[in-house]
Amino acid sequence: MPFNGKSGKFNAAIRTVEIGTGDKAVKLGGENVLPFYTFDAPIENAPKIGVMITDMGLENEVAGIKDYYNGCTSFAEIAKKAEEMPGADFVVLRFEGADPNGENKSVEDCVAIAKEVGDAITAPLVIEGCKNVEKDAELFAKVAEALQGKNVLILSAREENYKGVAAAAGLAYNQKVGAESAVDINLAKQLNVLIGQLGVDQGNVVMNVGSAAAGYGFEYVVSTMDRIKAAALSQNDAQLQMPIITPVAEEAWSVKEAMASEADMPEWGSQEERGIDMEVETAAAVLASGSNAVILKHPTSVATISKLIKELV
Amino acid sequence: MTLFDRAFGGSSEMYAWAEKSVAEALEKYGADAAVSLPSTAYSLPCYYAVTGEKLTTLGEVKAALEGKIKEMMTRKERLHNVFQAGIATALAAEIIETMKYMDGAQPYEEPYVGHFTDAMIRELGVPLVTGDIPGVPVIINAAPSVEEAVALVKSYQAQGNFVTCVGGICDQLIEAGYNTGFNVRVTLMGKDITSAAHVVSIALRAALIFGNITPGDLPNLMKYTFERVFAFVNAFAPVDDLTVGCGAGAIAFGFPVISNDMESLKGMNVPKSLILQPDTEKFNPTSIEARDVKIKVTDIDIPVAFASAFEGEIIRRGDMQVEFDGSRVDCFELVQTKEASEVEDHKIEVIGPDLDEFEVGTKHSIGYIVEVAGRNMQSDFEPVFERKFHSYLNCIEGVMHTGQRDMIRVRVGKAAFEAGFRAKHIGEVLYAKIKNEFDAVVDKCQVKVITDPEKCTELRHNLAIPSFDKRDDRLRTLTDESVEVYYSCILCQAFSPSHVCVVTPERLGLCGAVSWLDAKATNELDPQGPCQVITKERVIDERTGEYEDVNEAVKMYSQGALENVSLYSIMENPMTSCGCFECICGIEPFSNGVIIANREYAGMTPLGMTFPELASMTGGGVQTPGFMGHGKHFIASKKFMKAEGGIERIVWMPKELKETVAERLNESAKELYGIENFTDMIGDETIAEDPETLLEFLTEKGHPALGMDPMM
Repeated sequence: MPFNGKSGKFNAAIRTVEIGTGDKAVKLGGENVLPFYTFDAPIENAPKIGVMITDMGLENEVAGIKDYYNGCTSFAEIAKKAEEMPGADFVVLRFEGADPNGENKSVEDCVAIAKEVGDAITAPLVIEGCKNVEKDAELFAKVAEALQGKNVLILSAREENYKGVAAAAGLAYNQKVGAESAVDINLAKQLNVLIGQLGVDQGNVVMNVGSAAAGYGFEYVVSTMDRIKAAALSQNDAQLQMPIITPVAEEAWSVKEAMASEADMPEWGSQEERGIDMEVETAAAVLASGSNAVILKHPTSVATISKLIKELV
Repeated sequence: MTLFDRAFGGSSEMYAWAEKSVAEALEKYGADAAVSLPSTAYSLPCYYAVTGEKLTTLGEVKAALEGKIKEMMTRKERLHNVFQAGIATALAAEIIETMKYMDGAQPYEEPYVGHFTDAMIRELGVPLVTGDIPGVPVIINAAPSVEEAVALVKSYQAQGNFVTCVGGICDQLIEAGYNTGFNVRVTLMGKDITSAAHVVSIALRAALIFGNITPGDLPNLMKYTFERVFAFVNAFAPVDDLTVGCGAGAIAFGFPVISNDMESLKGMNVPKSLILQPDTEKFNPTSIEARDVKIKVTDIDIPVAFASAFEGEIIRRGDMQVEFDGSRVDCFELVQTKEASEVEDHKIEVIGPDLDEFEVGTKHSIGYIVEVAGRNMQSDFEPVFERKFHSYLNCIEGVMHTGQRDMIRVRVGKAAFEAGFRAKHIGEVLYAKIKNEFDAVVDKCQVKVITDPEKCTELRHNLAIPSFDKRDDRLRTLTDESVEVYYSCILCQAFSPSHVCVVTPERLGLCGAVSWLDAKATNELDPQGPCQVITKERVIDERTGEYEDVNEAVKMYSQGALENVSLYSIMENPMTSCGCFECICGIEPFSNGVIIANREYAGMTPLGMTFPELASMTGGGVQTPGFMGHGKHFIASKKFMKAEGGIERIVWMPKELKETVAERLNESAKELYGIENFTDMIGDETIAEDPETLLEFLTEKGHPALGMDPMM
């Protein structure tokens, strides 16, 4: 009997969410097959890559990143350069310095940086906070207001501050809302439901279901993403059909494999290469598990993952 | 005059005023002159929201007034008509206000605000949506005195409300030098009653921006403002027809009107909509209750710290200022559900001597009663709240609490006393925590702290103990058959992804921590949370407790991993376990019975497996016929493996567990089978740890399981 291939496409699909405006706007999601299963049905919107820059500038970055941005003196220049990085689809501005336990930059200063970056680039912009729930709520409301009309993605609303963040970003200023939960399908779904109840259109929500660097409890991340995609596609669970974005850079570059100096660990080889390896491995794994976008920072990682996506989709 | 007459009269008056304003403007600027309120994308926002039409020229405004607005001003004495006329009155008022802004004029000067820009609405909308601004009072006319005006505004402001003032009250606040403005959440809208239209404009634009309401979709617009914009009107006497007309509009949008005009509005009160309150000092609580505004309690007003870091703090005898000890004298703690009218929110009453009247180191009586009222409050939640008292009081720095019900002990340390901690602060803590954590069901809360020993004795015996008894009776009479629904619990799916507990009155969660009442309360308090309603309408098999609806729910909540679950069988599709079961029950083939091992038991069971070994094959959300995880309380339940014959199958339990459940188990066995002292027939580790010895013991005792059909 001849072999008859059967398509494994589903009757349900991940929602398509567009961020940014104009020619460079990107679409996340939209697929009705498992990650990279292009043999079942075409994947219209290949996974996207965001390049992360932070409000702390370049001082703490590794040599390869410093080299890439060499000559940039302002946030606007850094952002422009990030947008031009080969393989980049969008720019991510992370307000690491807003953390009250760190630099504690004022909301006004952050808004000024956001405006500078927003005005400098034409690629879509994603805003990441400092993870302090109160500060983020305040910061996101002001940034969402300042960037009206740019259709940015605010990353992200969490269980503790979702009302303020989602109301400001999703309702008052018509931006896209990121819904962040900590590696648990039920919490992810609950947050989506709650944001929906506020009145935010489900089509304006992107999930960050949590991440870890590969090797650091990463099985949880993989199984959570697997289960979310399975529920969204095979059970048509509308509350889990939001595309997933995964910030990889901050996780990958903060584990010991990426942090330990060559003096401490001569047998591990180049520190920068180790960081790139962590970033590439983590990104490849979350993409294979269902992420529709990853956030990276090193030019080599961006190029590598971009090539991977091109080969597979 | 009826209320209809007055509302229709006010609406006609407003219409005439609007006609006049428009006519004057037309004369001055002509029909083609552009019209819009400043800095808004909605032109005349109220008119746009209600009709879906954007007015752009004076000519169009005139046409709108004579067309749509006039049409709404019918005079039939029906509720619908008076609402329509009320909305038309607000639209006419908006036109009058718009005429003031013609040709770039700035009719309002500080401290008056008038029209709100779209940017202000967006900024205001976020805290409105999040509940950080719980309500929007609209105060119209002058209060009886300047002091009262200030007091009322201040009381609303202190609750975080966004206060808007129209007419005479504005002059009073200015006279008092009261600080007003957008930032302090007190705004003076304007001197004319027409400036109330700007408040309506806030509500309607919020609906357009935050509610995604299509302009012109009046039913949904009204639904949104009713459900999401917690505005209400306080109109001081005398209330004229114009205000009554506007009030009808407010009521149409779901905003109740509270007034002290006992003369002209006499007998015209409409429940929940037009409320007459002669005592203006009670405007605040009356309004908050009428509009169902949920005030957030942000600070706990006590002189010592409050944090979970203090939860484990021990107050030793030497550090103790005073002690309340329920084992020696009469003490109790109690939550009681009351009618809303019986509860004054945030009233803390101390009955009896305060802490500074007690000698250092002495023992006394205490009772505290938390009285709550709320539309969604049910007396079934009382024990759920009460169980939290322990944690609340322990979180106070320098206070220790143990026990529950009428067996409590509370110690207050010397340091806390010196910092100023007194009896009323116990009330403050309970009030703040209950209001914050249970705001979904508690609208109002008051606390009585009783230190008078005689009163404590009386209340303990006549109020507290009867309440506890009633609750226990209720628990006993709750059966799976007597309730309409069961609840799911997926609290532990984070680590056991395919496990779902079905919680019924007679089968609590296997962790032992979630009873049916707990699940019910969790569901009401956190409707999107881990406990969801499961219906039980389509029975498949009464004997095993299988229902189509339960199966569907289990399939959904396990993401398809489980398809069929029986509630009462250990052999056929038994309920799964996550891994946090208190006990495991396993089939013992020699005696046709089952053995139960609890988590604390470290020894061997007659199955040749220890608890951890049993756990390894029972947990993880998989169905293993013959093995089942469950809570301790389930053992005495009449539903315990009912399909296989019930509790008479139990042949072995660790001694300690057997003693814990003995009383209730014996009771159930007597009731079900007429067996006295059933637990004496059940083996334990002191009798047997292997099946042969166990079987000898069971035969000697004549255990009923031996004569039953084999389970396999």
